[in-house]
Amino acid sequence: MKVGIYNALMGAQISRRRMLQGATALSAMAALPMTARMASAQDNIRAEILKIPGVGMGSPTDADWQKVGEMCLGATKASVAEGEFAGVELTFMGLNNQNLHNFLFRGFLTPWEAYTGAKINWIDLAQADYNSRLQQSIATGTVDFDIIEMGAPFEGDTAGKGLLDEMPDWVSAQIDESDLVGYLQPPVGTWNGKKYRITIDGDCHTFAYRKDYFGEGAIGGAEVPKTWQDVNAVSKALIGKTDPLTGLPAHGYLDPLKGWGGFGMYFIANRATAYVKHPDDPAWLFDPDTMKPRVNNPGWVQAIQDVMDLIAAGAYPADQINADPGTTAFSQFLAGTGSMLMWWGDVGSSARTSDTSVVGDVAGFGINPGSTRRYNSAAGAWEETANEAPLMAYIGWGIYVTSRVSGDEKKRKAAWSAAAHLGGKDLSLWTAAYPSGFQPYRNSHFDYAEWEAAGYDRAYVEDYLSSNADSYNHPNAAIEPRIPGIFQYYSVAEDELSKGFAGQYASAQETADAIAAAWEKITDQIGRESQIALYKASLGM
Amino acid sequence: MSVMSGADHLHIVTSDDISPGRVRAGKLLIWGSAALMVVIALVQLGQSLGWWNAGFTTWRPTLYAYCLWATAVCWAQVLIRGEQGKRTLFVLPAALFVISLTVFPLLFGLIIAFSSWNLSSPDGRQFNGVANLVQMWNDPFYWNAMGNMVWYVLVIIVEYAIAFGLALLLNSQIRARKFFRVAFLLPLMLSPVAVSWMVGKSMLEARFGPISRLARALGVDNPSFFESPWMAKATIMILDAWTFIPFMMIMLLAGLQSIPKELTEAAKVDGAKGWKAFWEITFPLMLPVSVTAILIRIIFKLKLADIVINVTSGGPGGATDTVTSFIFREYRERSNVGYGTMLAMVYLVLIVIFMTILMKWAARYARPQT
Repeated sequence: MKVGIYNALMGAQISRRRMLQGATALSAMAALPMTARMASAQDNIRAEILKIPGVGMGSPTDADWQKVGEMCLGATKASVAEGEFAGVELTFMGLNNQNLHNFLFRGFLTPWEAYTGAKINWIDLAQADYNSRLQQSIATGTVDFDIIEMGAPFEGDTAGKGLLDEMPDWVSAQIDESDLVGYLQPPVGTWNGKKYRITIDGDCHTFAYRKDYFGEGAIGGAEVPKTWQDVNAVSKALIGKTDPLTGLPAHGYLDPLKGWGGFGMYFIANRATAYVKHPDDPAWLFDPDTMKPRVNNPGWVQAIQDVMDLIAAGAYPADQINADPGTTAFSQFLAGTGSMLMWWGDVGSSARTSDTSVVGDVAGFGINPGSTRRYNSAAGAWEETANEAPLMAYIGWGIYVTSRVSGDEKKRKAAWSAAAHLGGKDLSLWTAAYPSGFQPYRNSHFDYAEWEAAGYDRAYVEDYLSSNADSYNHPNAAIEPRIPGIFQYYSVAEDELSKGFAGQYASAQETADAIAAAWEKITDQIGRESQIALYKASLGM
Repeated sequence: MSVMSGADHLHIVTSDDISPGRVRAGKLLIWGSAALMVVIALVQLGQSLGWWNAGFTTWRPTLYAYCLWATAVCWAQVLIRGEQGKRTLFVLPAALFVISLTVFPLLFGLIIAFSSWNLSSPDGRQFNGVANLVQMWNDPFYWNAMGNMVWYVLVIIVEYAIAFGLALLLNSQIRARKFFRVAFLLPLMLSPVAVSWMVGKSMLEARFGPISRLARALGVDNPSFFESPWMAKATIMILDAWTFIPFMMIMLLAGLQSIPKELTEAAKVDGAKGWKAFWEITFPLMLPVSVTAILIRIIFKLKLADIVINVTSGGPGGATDTVTSFIFREYRERSNVGYGTMLAMVYLVLIVIFMTILMKWAARYARPQT
């Protein structure tokens, strides 16, 4: 769980009584007859690890991470003999964001190292240094790590270039892959039919709205908007009205109009997926056969036009042209400006806990708005059919093993065993429930009774988790292309969109055409044929 | 000349009696080590071009050969030229070090600049001739940023006027002069990144920022600092000026304090006061310092990037973009190493030409007019 979300849930706890209820339930379980306890040994591990250090008992420490690692070692012990990897040294490259990620992995793997005899060396990177370090390693042929924590968008840069080791079958069995939520199932994590990824995280954008704007007699109308058409209509209708909470001017949807190092692209894509992600077609940014950009097709142009319409109508707060997604979420929505927003899970959590948030009691959540019509790229025409397509922005972190170990069977088994330990089903429940930097990503994480027994407030957990679960398992979830240089495409699109939103292009179509032209250049530079092959591989075609 | 000649015994510690054999040994040392370096470099080059496999895994052997050659050259100076060679040794190692740290990277940079090298491309670096230059010529983002730089540089005139005013103020007999000197210097001590966040993102926040509130209190309906292109450009200029005016001010203040008292007093006696004294005496005397301050400020300004990257990312629509912030996006966000390097190289050349002309001009017109 991300730190902010954990704090939010802590802030949402009703009282200590609630925790005592959970504790009582666990004590009652402990008092069950021996047979029943043995039968539920697995459940017990899950319940027991959730007691470390205990929900609301302060931030977990290295001792806690080691304890959890030790308790979740069962699967490793079943597949590896004690001391089997003596003499093996592995290098692990990952992040050190918020003192999480690698810090947790160290703790989780300490008991694994003690049992197997292997030794792990660590490369810790700040998020901002991650991309350049990885790209330079790849470009200069100096991959100096055996295990890597990596986001799925980089699979094109690594798996696509043969730098990763294929996952052995015993690993998929050990980590119970069938438990992963819908969108994290293959083809995510696979290339040309081969598996490479142990998922340890999930990502998606969800819809946050102000409950006090919507309902009988509320200024935004009786219903919460369900489509982007509604979102725009409400945003325009709110012009000139007063925010019920702050008494300042009311605003509707908050589009970030400024780039954010490529990440801003996810936000225009939230609008576009509703129009262009067709259920019959996994692709929505490029044509897989030609890599011809779809970003200037009528669906995408409509998404850009929607934003331009709101700019022209004056529906945004002042200076919105200089607002990036950090601004829309933390300086605007949480501070009481605007009524609708798309973001990752952090917003839901910060709403309750952040000192600067004033919307904690009036924030509601849902999935990405849909559209009353959709564009069919294959037919080249609009279809008057309703469409929904939540965007799995960034897809989530995974653990991968590099091909450095492929030639040494002992080292290879050791690397995969370490990775599988981190991606284990029980251990993942703990990372979902405590500050870890990772979101829930397995169906088993959405068993609310488990959370309640651990001491969480069920109502808030359900509210927060269900919008994620509904997005993850949506049959028409939009998954971004896992091709090399995907963030280059996003970054250049931000530059062109910025010009379009500032009125430097004559129309939305012209803006979209400029993006498409820039994308064609990138594709040609990286290599069209290889991009086509890799895109198809990433789509599982 | 006499110092350099062997006849000046004052400066000769040992008498040089260099035998032809010693000279030959020295020359052999130089040419031998040079030949070794060339051979190793060629072998390695051949391997990297795929002509043969000499078993090298890195370029370190060439580096070691260069170090050996550099040492041999230094040693040979003493062998060939004796005492004179020892004198050369005071400078030569440093010169070789500097050359290796500037010339080689520059050459390598040029190779990259004439390549198509996208870090995501499976083909790696590919020589592409002048394609990057052509792309640059047709790149509206680059020329837009270049146009912005003209405005950013022009505004230095205003910055200079303000800095001069402040320096005059701090040079006069005012109360709490020491306090103001330190206080005016504070913005210079702040990191531009901190200024970006504190001022650009927080204080100028359109709704809750204190400056916006002040503007609203003063009757501005909907204050916004980044909405229109010119407003955004002006805001960035002010933020940058606020940080760097103290720098010009402190240089000008030092200049003011070095003006001989007799001159100003003589002017007073002659009846020059106020504006006349400033325009006829102070300003001309300050011209050399002023030119230096402005030239250094221009160099700083041409590198402007941090505030832009943090506050506006170059927007709205490229209105605040600088060449450096554009190169940053091209290089870092788009991993477009070849093109980014070419943009930087061209910018370097333009800066060198521009600064050379400016310095020539300054030397001609800005001599002290006393």
